[in-house]
Amino acid sequence: MNESEDDAVARRLPDLASAAPEDFALRVLRRVGISADHYDSYVHLDTAAGGLFVAASPQAVTGACLDSAGLTATAFEELHRARTGRSAIPGSKPLPGLIPALRTGRARRLAIDLSGLPDEQRAVLQAVRNIPAGQLRPLSWIAREADTGTPPSASDVLHALAANPVAVLIPCHRVTHDNGAPCDAAYLPRTGEALRRAEHIDMRRVTELSRAGAVFLGSDTTYIYCHPTCAHARRITPGHRVHFRTAHDAREAGYRACKSCRPLTV
Amino acid sequence: MDDKAEQLTELLAAHLEAGFTELVRVHAGAVHAFLYRVSGSFAEADDLGQDTFLRAYTALQGYSAARRRELRPRAWLMTIAANVWRNHVRTRKRRPVTAGLPVEETMDVWPDHSPGPEERAATTEERSRLVTALSALPEHHRIPVVLHHVIGMSYSEVAEVQGCAVGTAKAQVSRGLAGLRRLLESEPTALKEVTR
Repeated sequence: MNESEDDAVARRLPDLASAAPEDFALRVLRRVGISADHYDSYVHLDTAAGGLFVAASPQAVTGACLDSAGLTATAFEELHRARTGRSAIPGSKPLPGLIPALRTGRARRLAIDLSGLPDEQRAVLQAVRNIPAGQLRPLSWIAREADTGTPPSASDVLHALAANPVAVLIPCHRVTHDNGAPCDAAYLPRTGEALRRAEHIDMRRVTELSRAGAVFLGSDTTYIYCHPTCAHARRITPGHRVHFRTAHDAREAGYRACKSCRPLTV
Repeated sequence: MDDKAEQLTELLAAHLEAGFTELVRVHAGAVHAFLYRVSGSFAEADDLGQDTFLRAYTALQGYSAARRRELRPRAWLMTIAANVWRNHVRTRKRRPVTAGLPVEETMDVWPDHSPGPEERAATTEERSRLVTALSALPEHHRIPVVLHHVIGMSYSEVAEVQGCAVGTAKAQVSRGLAGLRRLLESEPTALKEVTR
């Protein structure tokens, strides 16, 4: 028997293992009659920072991971299984509202299931969800907004951000350190940058302002002070713009906090 | 892999629905690939794959927790898939379809007796020759060859699917490979005769 020839045939045979159709597993489960409550289905969607796997139960999003770090579909399934204890089955239809939420960056009303997390982390991530698209908020703001008994420390907030199980849809890229530098706890630096650029956040202006010592911007016509990326702050004309280093300075000068971006008060 | 297989059987023993969902997630691809290479038709692999899992689920419902824990999931599923395929071949022989599909079914079934455009584009000359040769192998050699070389199952798993000794499984795989080699060496015209 010719061994080498045999080997050549045997070597080529594994190439014939073709992938099943995308929704095969899902159709099997439906045919067998397994209730959709027993598993999550996931889709792969495009974002400014690369592909995003989003797993969802019939009611809410249960997890999302960027594939920028070379995450494959199988690896995402394993990760989801390990974290939530639920199987993620490739599906064809995304949860209603998911696509518009990703397109506009407004995911605040999207149902997201965070029940697997400790209470404090959940509160922090809920606070992060309240940051509007195209704006930035410092860690101290998150700590205050988080609905817990005692405000969490900065390191607790950072810890919760790093554990964010729903990348992009819980917009951790909109959180900065108190000096204005982005945190990007859960993202690679380039990922965070790409997401902010897609929301038209002018990072050059933000760094210029923080270098000039402007943590808050006030308008001397209204005597209101805001976070620099707040929509109201962005339309203050240069002639009327006043810089403040702390909330205390602003109050001393007779300014009140903006009611939409709710900066810290003293 | 062993660790994961163990987790899977534990889950099957503890909670049937969750375990079965995980079983489908992990093994649906392999079952489909096996049936596709054995039957040579994508749509048929799809139908038979669904039948396989339906039968698996029905069987699991009747098993005790201890028996579910003892399963070797992949070999067990492939056994069912191979049986589903053999049954399918038998019924097809008994009821040969001469006039094609009934008119009322032609709307929702894709007729795929020839490779589709996607398949044709993806396969090079070499590859399609291999596929043709594989489909020309007799049933009792094709199943072990696909299991061992395409899906990548061990000889002991193949033996479990085939219900024979490990040595027999090895012999079947090796004879199948030899048969493939013969078919590939022969003239393309001769190959056509074999494959109809």
